Parts: sequence; C-alpha cells; structure tokens
Amino acid sequence: MTGTRRRPWGVPADEEFFRLDAGPAVQAVYDRGDLSRRDVGDERIGAPGTFPFTRGVHPDGQRTAPTLVKVYTGLGTPDDTNRRVRKLVDWGAEIVQLAVDLPAQIGYDPDHIMSAGEVGRSGVSIASLRDLECVFDGVPVSRLRRVGMLGNAIGPIALALFLALAERQGCQVDDFVLDLQNDPLKEYVARGTQFLPVEDAVRLAADVVEWSARHAPHFYLLDVCVNHLNAAGAGSTWGTAFALGNATHYIQTLIDRGLPIDAFAPQIQLFLDEREDFFAAIANVRATRRIWAELLRDRFGALDPKSMALEVTAYGHGRETRKEPLNNIVRITLGSLAYYLAGVQSLYTASYDEVIQTPSDEAVKIAVRMQQIMGLEIGLGLTADPLGGSYYLESLTSELEAGIRERFAAVEAAGGARACIDSGFIREIISDGAVRRQERYEAGVRPMVGVDRLAVADDDSWAVRPTSVMSEAAEERRRTDLAELRRVRDGRRVTGALRDVEAAVRRGDNSVATVLEAVRAYATIGEISDVLREVFGEWVPDQTF
Amino acid sequence: MGTGPDVLSGRRAVRIVVAKVGLDGHEVGARVVARGLVDAGMEVIYTGLRRTPEQVVATALQEDCDVIGISILSGAHMPLLRRVCALMKEHGLDDVLLLVGGVIPDVDVQPLREFGVDEIFHPATKIDEIVRFITANVRSGPGDPEQNGTS
Repeated sequence: MTGTRRRPWGVPADEEFFRLDAGPAVQAVYDRGDLSRRDVGDERIGAPGTFPFTRGVHPDGQRTAPTLVKVYTGLGTPDDTNRRVRKLVDWGAEIVQLAVDLPAQIGYDPDHIMSAGEVGRSGVSIASLRDLECVFDGVPVSRLRRVGMLGNAIGPIALALFLALAERQGCQVDDFVLDLQNDPLKEYVARGTQFLPVEDAVRLAADVVEWSARHAPHFYLLDVCVNHLNAAGAGSTWGTAFALGNATHYIQTLIDRGLPIDAFAPQIQLFLDEREDFFAAIANVRATRRIWAELLRDRFGALDPKSMALEVTAYGHGRETRKEPLNNIVRITLGSLAYYLAGVQSLYTASYDEVIQTPSDEAVKIAVRMQQIMGLEIGLGLTADPLGGSYYLESLTSELEAGIRERFAAVEAAGGARACIDSGFIREIISDGAVRRQERYEAGVRPMVGVDRLAVADDDSWAVRPTSVMSEAAEERRRTDLAELRRVRDGRRVTGALRDVEAAVRRGDNSVATVLEAVRAYATIGEISDVLREVFGEWVPDQTF
Repeated sequence: MGTGPDVLSGRRAVRIVVAKVGLDGHEVGARVVARGLVDAGMEVIYTGLRRTPEQVVATALQEDCDVIGISILSGAHMPLLRRVCALMKEHGLDDVLLLVGGVIPDVDVQPLREFGVDEIFHPATKIDEIVRFITANVRSGPGDPEQNGTS
C-alpha cells in the first residue's frame, strides 16, 4: 500500500494510478524473473532487422533509415496552403500529408448545402485538380520524400488527384512516392468521414492498393489506423486489435482478387498510437511488429521479409490541454520521443496549439524542429532499439502483445472487422472506453497539470499565435471559383468521363483508371463522389450511444 | 408546448436532444456526455452524425425537449449555431436551453452567447458540471431529483 505517501502536489495514492490506460497494472519493480516468467528469451525478441522484428525493421535502426519527418497540414484556401507547404519545404519537412477540409473528405464540393460553414475550416478546401495544382505550385511532388493525403472515403479520387498532379508537373510515377491513408473501415466507428456503405468503401480502397501493386509498388497506399480508434476511447490495446482486424479484411479482399500477398504487403503501414503512457507507447510498437510478422507469415503465407517487417507511422501527441498551451510542447516532445525510441519509420508531430485552433506557422515550425532536434542533436538514433532488453520494457511488450492477441482473436471469433462494425461491437467498446477514461480523469487518477492539478488563473492567451481563419467571404470566393471552373472546363469531356466512372463501377472494374480520366478532365471531388453515391447508395448514421 | 403538467410537477425527466451538426465526425464526446446525462436520470435522444440545423431543430420540436446539446469540433460553429439559434426563435423554442460542447476559441464565446447559446463546455469538463448547469437552468426549474429518471 502506498496510501500514506502523500505528495505536496497531489499524486494520487490510489492503486488505479499505477494502472496503464492500455490495461496492465505496473509493478513497482521488474527483474530477470519477470522475463523468464513471461517466456521472453532472446529468440522471442530477435535481432533488429530480423524476424519477428520486435526490435525494428532495420539491422542498424536509425542509421540508414532515420525516422522521416511527416507533417499533416492544410488550411483555408489552396493559396493559403501553398504558402504553408513552401515554408515546410524550407524547414526540411520530408513528407507532406495534405489535410483537406471535411467537405472534400466526405465527397462534397464547396457549393454543396452540407458544406456551409465547413469550407477550408479543418483543412484546405479542394474541389478539383486545379486546386491541388495551386497547393503544390512551385513544389514538385518529387521534391519531397513522400506526399499524399488521407483520402479514407475517397481513396481512388485521392490517388487520381496526385497522379494527375504529377503529370501536370512533369513527374513520372517512378519519380515520387505517394502516401495515402485509404483506410475506410475505421471511419465507420471512430473518425466519421464515411459516406458509402461499408463494403463498397472497402472495394474502392482495394482498387487503390490493387492499382499500385500493379503500377507503383513503391507507393504506400494503405495505412491502417489505430490512432483514431485509440483516441475515440478504445485504448491502444483494443485499438490495435481492431486495426489488425481491419488490415486482415483489406488483405483478404486483395488476396480474393488474385493478388499475391508479397505484391502488396510491403506497402502497408500501420498507424500505431498510444499517447497516455510513455513506456506503453514503445511497447505497443514492439509488440505489434511481432504480431504482424507472424500474422503475415503464418496466416497469409508471405515469403518476402519486407511483407513481415511492419512499416510503422505514428503521430507524436501528449495529452494536450487548452490551459497553459506551451506546456503542450513538453507533452508532445515526450510523446514523440517514445515513438523515436521505438524506431518508427515516419512520424507526425502535433503542434502545441492544435487543441485550440488550426496550427499557426510558428507552432508547426516548432513541431518540425522538435523531430530534427531528436534526430540530430542528442544521440538518440546512434544504435538500434536502444531500450531492448530492459526488464520493464520487454515484460510490458510481452504483456501488451498477449492483450492485443487475445482481443484480435475475439474480433475474429465475432466474425472479423466487418461483422464487428455492423453489430455495434466496436462502437460499444469505444463508448465504454471513453466513459472509463472520463471516470478516471474525474476520479483524479489521470492528472493533468495546470488543469485539475496545480491550476492557476493566469492569462495564457499570449502563448498562441492567431491563425488567419477562413472567413465567410473566402468561403464565398471558393464557390465563385468553382462556378468559374465549371464554365471554362470542357463540359462534354467531364460528362463523358463521369459516365465512364459509373459504367466501370457498375461492371465491378477497378475504378482507378476511369476516376483518373475524370480528374484529368477537372471533374470535381463532389461530382465523382455523387456518381459513387448513385451506384452504391449512402451510409446511414447510427443513433446509439 | 413543453410545459405540460408533468413537467411542472417535476415528474418527467429532463429531456435532451444531443446533436452533431455539420460534417464533424468526432462523436465520442457527444456519446460520453449522452451516457453521463442518462446516468444522471435525464432522457437523451442522440441524433447521430452530420445533421443540418434544420434537422436538429425539427428533432427538438418532435421530441418536445427541454435542452439541446450541440457538439461541434470542426470550426464551423459560428455559421451553424447562428442558424440553429435563428430556427429556434422562429419555432418559439425560446425556453429550451441551448448548450454547446467542443473546441470553441475564446474569441467566439461572446458572439455565440449573443446568438442565444446558454452555455459552452470545453474539453476536460466534468460531466457533473453539465448536469448541475442543466438542473439549475432548465425551464421547469430544479426538479425533485428523487423523481428524475423514474418515468
């Protein structure tokens, strides 16, 4: 019992304080006995760059393959975002993932009734290829290590937009690397940009991966996410199990199309996420690499080590707060450090003002610099998996692995990802988890410094640099621009291309070729999405809570 | 409308429409609050994602609710809430409490109150604070807590 040990600044004496959000209760100390009890020997851990890749996918860790600096960015109009992208290139960002606004993510044009008030708000307003050309004006896609967007509900359109952009910039497919999320399944339970029935969305996502397996195997067009599942409430252990279920569903869909596993598995990424507990974040990455290697080899018969070696991306967060926002720089640094020590392949870093507003230039620059400091200044990446062999970390890796495997088995037993979405099982776990987190916060066992602990009444508003928010006038200009585009483009070519998309989708053909033709003709995201709605019907919101 | 004898005698549970307006897909906050309000003995109708202001106000009318709670994190709160407030006035819902939860910048707080928003709850709010606010301000006045949730 630690009940009598009160600290002046209020660390809870409650046993719950020593339980990780990811599940396990943490012992006061770990030693060799914990490793043998969990059967964690050298062969279970393996060497860096070898099966089961617990210690990372490269034999020398960060030396030859440093964690790439990834930025998720986009705001206001295409011009606004072009200014931001140019700055990012100057600052040394290596991967730009374009954040597009909600209308574009959900397949609406800026002049759709549902877009009112949303245009350019939570990302850049994009309606057609013309807008993407503007965003990347002066920045050839080959200039970056990778470029892309999320495109979860509009995968083929996102792929086509970047292919057409590269064409306009005179870049060949081999000259650049596209990186899309293209993971619709989690949208239905955790992120919310879905607009088609589940199975049709999966089919479109599979079209994208199938296309790249045949034409651009160096692209990364499937990034299966834990991030949103965890943040919504699932926690990282359930979240990872659900993501593995989702990945399994995509992989099986592609195998059913006749693609060999090794033709597409190397381009799959998992977007892992654990932001509550530092060591759990490192252990989760290591555990998931081990599970993935065995899943790909034993279930799907992969032979190429690249298929078994999991490519991990992550978003360096802390538990950011609105109060005393500069403290978020500390939280995000620590969250990012965990992923850096875990040896992830690419890393986004949150901006300290992200919880308050669309990040300012100054805040994004700090986020980029944070990773560059970690990569260059303090010797973090000199050796592979520097924490490997730690009694605590290896025990925790093993414990989280068991927890994830058990839950993944439960998902499989319940019929797999699709069945668990339809039955409301995942939704229920997420709601329960979110309530549990709220209760733990309210009970004081998940302290937030400056919020429910050590709070003061200082005015911190100076700490956030305002961003020029999208005005209603700018939104109106976006609608005028779109009307102008519709006037000047070749209307007959657009209509013909949209008819071809419809015919291809109705026939069950891969949609990418016809969508690409429509995008080249400057058909809009909304117009192409309307064709998909027409063919597939629309998703209906769930009113349970 | 909405001030029937059951409400006045405090026998009916406080009835709340929890709504997501616009395209914002972050619904877990709304769902956690919805569950918390049910636990506090209130009756909750959740709209699900992506509703228009028109749909929200229509639901509020149909359900004869005492409170509308709108969750929004996408940054589109100003135009959408202006529209919700206008529609509430148009339909005579002046005595229905309008609460907003989500990421609302400080500069928008005063204008939202001028539209007619009664209270704004930021992330990291405890559910209890919301329950207390509703109980203290709902149109029928503080009901008998023993009676709430028994219907």
